[in-house]
Amino acid sequence: MKKRLALILLAGFASTLFLASPASAHGEKSQEAFLRMRSIAWTDVQFAGGTVKDGEIYLPQGQKMTLQGTARLMDTWPDTLAAGLPRIGYINIATQGPCVEMLARTINGVSAPGRIEITKGNFYHFEMTLMGRRPGRWHIHPAFAVKGAGTVLGPGQWVHVERTSAGFSSPVTLYDGKKINMENYGLNVVWGFQIVGFLLGMVWILYWTAGKRNPDGSPKGILGGKRTVTNPAVTLQIPLNDDGVAVGLNSKRDHRAVNIIAIATAIFLLIGWVYQASAYPVKIPQQVVQFEPPKTDFDTAPTLAKVDAQAAKYDRDSRQMVIEVATTNVSDSPIDLQEFTTSTLTFAASHGSAIAPGYYLHDMKVSPSGSIQPGQTTKLTLTIDGNSFVEEHLVPTSESQLTVAGLLAFKDSAGKRSFAEIEEPLRPNYHD
Amino acid sequence: MADTGTLEQDQQLQQLRALVNKQYKYIDRKWDAVFWISAAFIVGAAANITLLLFAGDWDFWTDWKDRVWWPILTPFALVIIGSALQYIQWLAWRFPTGMTYTGICMWFLSTIGRWLQWGNFVWYPLNFVWGTTMVPAGIFADWVLMKSKSFIITSVLGSAVFAFAWWVSNYVMIAPYLQPAQWMDRVLTVSDIQGIAYIRSQTPEYLRIVEHGTLRSFLGETQYVSIVFGMTVTIAGYWIGQFIGRMLAIWPIGRFMKKW
Repeated sequence: MKKRLALILLAGFASTLFLASPASAHGEKSQEAFLRMRSIAWTDVQFAGGTVKDGEIYLPQGQKMTLQGTARLMDTWPDTLAAGLPRIGYINIATQGPCVEMLARTINGVSAPGRIEITKGNFYHFEMTLMGRRPGRWHIHPAFAVKGAGTVLGPGQWVHVERTSAGFSSPVTLYDGKKINMENYGLNVVWGFQIVGFLLGMVWILYWTAGKRNPDGSPKGILGGKRTVTNPAVTLQIPLNDDGVAVGLNSKRDHRAVNIIAIATAIFLLIGWVYQASAYPVKIPQQVVQFEPPKTDFDTAPTLAKVDAQAAKYDRDSRQMVIEVATTNVSDSPIDLQEFTTSTLTFAASHGSAIAPGYYLHDMKVSPSGSIQPGQTTKLTLTIDGNSFVEEHLVPTSESQLTVAGLLAFKDSAGKRSFAEIEEPLRPNYHD
Repeated sequence: MADTGTLEQDQQLQQLRALVNKQYKYIDRKWDAVFWISAAFIVGAAANITLLLFAGDWDFWTDWKDRVWWPILTPFALVIIGSALQYIQWLAWRFPTGMTYTGICMWFLSTIGRWLQWGNFVWYPLNFVWGTTMVPAGIFADWVLMKSKSFIITSVLGSAVFAFAWWVSNYVMIAPYLQPAQWMDRVLTVSDIQGIAYIRSQTPEYLRIVEHGTLRSFLGETQYVSIVFGMTVTIAGYWIGQFIGRMLAIWPIGRFMKKW
């Protein structure tokens, strides 16, 4: 019986070893589809730099790459997130720790090391410069964190950071012109101070716990020579505010010893304080950078089209998504639908163009296919292969809100782009 | 009658002295070593968990180690288990060692943790994720107990000295990281740069609770106000530790001993 039990336990343990695979994603598909579609739409996301092989980027340690794109904080932002009013955001990357280093980040053209003030319906064009740091294969996403809501991830890209013989360093120039390597700067102060402090503590503890004693209880060496396990027989018979000197538990020698160690510790702290004051005379508190980025061209561009989504159907058998949108050209030149973007996915019209990492860029069929003339209202039917929706967990057939939301991008004859949001209840077919 | 009383006291003292020096056949010094070394893991873990619970991020990242919240929350969190150990070790052995013992156990274990988990597994540079030290502060708190022989005095004076010494000893280490540098078109501290450059995917910058500025600026000397306030809350933390030591450790053991 015991052998069987042991075998079962062993088999269970072994199965976890064989079946477990390394985590390679960040849970970006785990969030509910309607929340992702209604919160942030990612467009024009591009990774550049390094060498591209089979759709993956190879980047030597210390070399730079850029990640740029535009995130639209949707007007359809759900009430359940940040009480429906996103106010503070932070654009970053999501990846497996510090495998790349952030060197620069601009949002709407302005350098943005910290948080930003955000408004629903606005676009945030980001450009981040990253440097390969930790060798390995990493999955990197742009990420838009919103205070009170959480983090929404954009389209990801596999990046191989390749080890170089020179290793990695991260140079920064201080206010006084001194160049430092952030990888190890200040560690000698940290370790030196921590270790000396630890040794002082060890001296204190060893004094009380180690050392030999004479038969009369007096210590043989410089240490206290005390016992511990047998002391309660005595300590429980004397008052708590009695240090036991009278009965020989402690002695004046012990008092002298603790005085000496305490004075040594005070001198140690004093030396440390004088050192930091002279070695680092200029110090400032940690900085909190927060500002409202200027508007992008997309925010200020004249509207080209007014849209009214009228139907969104999803066929579970063929995995086909069909969205019908009544579109009115409100500009003075012909316009074309270029793309439909929802969450991380971008669908390009057959005659349109769109930018997104390959895995996230797909085609869609738009009918009728011609341009929409000024003042004309046309019912556009968008037919989309829903496999990518399924892979990205963006078909909310079993969620509490059956809805589809996203951005339509139109372009006029002069090449100007304009975006319009749609949101429409999804009608999946549930027949067997 | 007075002479009889003194005689009885002398006899009791002699008995206790004899008990202090009594030779035990089976309980020798090796048992002491076993106790101190095995307890180190429990004490270090308890102190570290308490620290993470109350002051987690402030203790983790240099860009959180600010002059307003760090000196308030960290000594408060650190003193709790140190205080409990101080009571237990003083009660049982009359050793003023609880706070220092907690400090060295926690520092040793948490440093291995930082090096192994944060340095080797996740590749954060250790100069970004070094932990605080409470050892020098613990020595002073233990010294106050030894000199005063009073937990009330130690709670007031010892806790205040603990919080102040903790600040001095840790400020020396954060000093290099408070230097300004021009980076991303801004003047930032080295610690700010570390916080931005070394990616923390699930810790957006706005979650960082550091000095934000307030109209109650105290002539710009918020740091000293925080240190004094930190001393005050550390007294409260000290008594939480005393409660843990007295009610959750010693009292149940006493009940158990009486029952069995």
